Amino acid sequence: MALLEIDAIHVFYDKIEALKGISLAVEQRQIVTLVGGNGAGKSTTLRAVSGLLHPRQGTIRFDGRDLAGLGAHDIAATGLVQVPEGRRIFGRLTVAENLEMGAFTRRDRHAVAEDRDRMMRLFPRLRERLKQVAGTLSGGEQQMLATARALMARPRLLLMDEPSMGLAPMLVEQVFETIRTINAQGVTILLVEQNAPAALGIADHGYVLESGRIVLSGAGRELLDDERVRRAYLG
Amino acid sequence: MSGVHTPPGLAAPIHPILRRAVLTGLAFGAGAVHLTVVGVVLMLHQRWIVVGTLSLGEATLLAIAAGAGAMAAANAGTAAGARIMLGLLAGAVAAAPLAALAVLIDLVSLRAIFIALSPDLLAMLTLGLGPATGIALLIAGGAGAGLLGAALQQSPRAVIRAVLPGATAVVVAGVFQELIQLMLQQYEGVVNDVRAFLYSWEGLNPAGAITIFAVTALLGEAVGLRRRRRPAHAPPRDPRRARMMRAGIALLVLAVLPAFAGSYIGQVLMLVGLYILMGMGLNLEIGLAGLLDLGFVAFFAVGAYTTALLTTESAHALLHLSYWLAMPVAVLLSILVGVLFGLPVLGVRGDYLAVATLGLGEIVRVIVQSDFAAPLLGGAQGILEIPKPRIGPYVLGSPVALFYVTLAAAGVAAFVAWRLENSRLGRAWMALRDDEDVAQALGINLIQCKLLAYGLGAAFAGLAGSIFATMLTSVYPSSFQLLISINVLALIIVGGMGSLPGVVLGAVALIGLPELLREFGEYRYLFYGAVLIVMMRLRPEGLWPSDVRQRELHARDETLALDAGSDPLPVQPR
Repeated sequence: MALLEIDAIHVFYDKIEALKGISLAVEQRQIVTLVGGNGAGKSTTLRAVSGLLHPRQGTIRFDGRDLAGLGAHDIAATGLVQVPEGRRIFGRLTVAENLEMGAFTRRDRHAVAEDRDRMMRLFPRLRERLKQVAGTLSGGEQQMLATARALMARPRLLLMDEPSMGLAPMLVEQVFETIRTINAQGVTILLVEQNAPAALGIADHGYVLESGRIVLSGAGRELLDDERVRRAYLG
Repeated sequence: MSGVHTPPGLAAPIHPILRRAVLTGLAFGAGAVHLTVVGVVLMLHQRWIVVGTLSLGEATLLAIAAGAGAMAAANAGTAAGARIMLGLLAGAVAAAPLAALAVLIDLVSLRAIFIALSPDLLAMLTLGLGPATGIALLIAGGAGAGLLGAALQQSPRAVIRAVLPGATAVVVAGVFQELIQLMLQQYEGVVNDVRAFLYSWEGLNPAGAITIFAVTALLGEAVGLRRRRRPAHAPPRDPRRARMMRAGIALLVLAVLPAFAGSYIGQVLMLVGLYILMGMGLNLEIGLAGLLDLGFVAFFAVGAYTTALLTTESAHALLHLSYWLAMPVAVLLSILVGVLFGLPVLGVRGDYLAVATLGLGEIVRVIVQSDFAAPLLGGAQGILEIPKPRIGPYVLGSPVALFYVTLAAAGVAAFVAWRLENSRLGRAWMALRDDEDVAQALGINLIQCKLLAYGLGAAFAGLAGSIFATMLTSVYPSSFQLLISINVLALIIVGGMGSLPGVVLGAVALIGLPELLREFGEYRYLFYGAVLIVMMRLRPEGLWPSDVRQRELHARDETLALDAGSDPLPVQPR
């Protein structure tokens, strides 16, 4: 059974139907990516999974459990953690405090301290800036912090929303490298990206979204070579 | 081109500098004229700083001229001697509009338009010497003050360190002479002898003024020297510890003063204490959780009315509890109302939240005032005959005794607030304040957190209300105006958002000082408003900012200096 199963969900913003029956599955230890243009429904899908939006129809199951009726904070406690779009770190708290907030639902202090050390090894830049106010970090550092903060919750599934958005090309490469590293350490990842080539390049499985529907799906490499995808997204 | 010889390269730079000094003088002069026309100066003139020598009104005008002089001297890029002359010029120019005003008053009566432009004012401006001599003296006075201001601005720190505290002490001793004399008169012997030396019955006398100035100046110098000597052989002291120590001393003074200072000061400090309680409560809501609340006075009212209903000896009594039993009930009920208050506005954010809470606060006041609730709550007549608290046989009747009740309550509340700030809940509030969605996505229960913020914030206000009821021995709906919510909000902003010591400072500055200045009547709110504006311009982080805020402002400066290329703006709260 897949770790995350989305079955024919319909999500509305008032009267506008943003998702028109989306189904997808994320297997353990995979990187799965959702690609598509602006307004295709990528972020809406993530918001529905993390409980900030509620589907009108269809079900979302995480590890076999139906998420319907759970609040966003309950869902976070099940191990489904999001790295939000545009970083959205807590700008007025320090880097250390941001990391601490990531582990908000955890009570195992020792393990939290260990995880913090792990993050410092994964992102050495953050170690230098532990006491700094997070709002003063550069864009790339904020992305690292947002990722580290999410990992502090020991997610079983990490939802990443446009992690490369607004970053310099060199940093973008670094972001995808990091995603690979995290995945290699055993974290399952659902990645939403506009940068289709890079995302499909590292993904085990990919879905192409267009105006609220999935129009294509397949292994990441296959999609990358697919003529239709090439034409639509790779120019 | 003309026959006059000007050294090349000198005429050109001097001209704009002179112009600047004149403009500075005119700006300050315009300010002085404004204060005069509005009537503030004449009102201040009713009050001596030094009896027979210097009134507060005169001192204000002189201070304005001195300010012009100091500013002109600070701006200019010339030699020290020239700067001081620029100060003289600016001071004289600042006096010129006043002189023009004096001429105008002398020629035509403008009292039909500006009631303050009276013969009294003319007499004050010209020192009663008639227009010609008086106006010459006025300009000369301005020039002298400008000169002094510029000289002070150019002086070494050591001089400034002595003069400013000295002058401040004289003004305080002069303006608050009535209070101080009352305080000192309670005691026989040396204390009263000192009083008699410094003061005549109507105010500070010249010998007293000189003595106070000298003593304070010497003290300022001594403190400055000690501070200066320290870094030479010892590591600089931890600034935070130094701040804490100063705060400790201030608290100690605050705690001990009323016992010696008599009931008026006790009354004022008690009011300050109540606002400190409310400030700490609202600080939880706004400072930590970021929930802008303009209906805060509602919780204050709930605390007061609950206490009234449970203890009053009038017909409105529900029960006849002792005050010490009624107080916890009032606090609990306030928490309950706080939670109920939070429910309808759970999904409302930012500016909209301010408006929504404003409405809720008004609803509470209107209900209390309504005829519908009058049988229970007494309507506009309120509830009377609330007894003072007792400990055994002792009735805590005096303002000083009640001040100590307030102080104890504030102490407990401060401890609770401090613990909350550093708790899991406190962290969750701060996360919520910065980004609600992300906070939720990290497992923070939004509903629980927000309701706790309203409930706990309300507890503090309820406690304040409870003490308020027993202080007045009566409660009326008109005591629970929107203005209270606004005052509490202003005091935490002025003190420093999210900072506990800031709440204390803010309450002393915004509640205590206006109370002491009560005799300036309607004008005190003019000062109050001006102080708010100046504060927000010069020190937006507050008098005693929280570590977080200070860090944020400081770090931002650093980052801007280091790499202008990166994105230094923090994520804005929604």
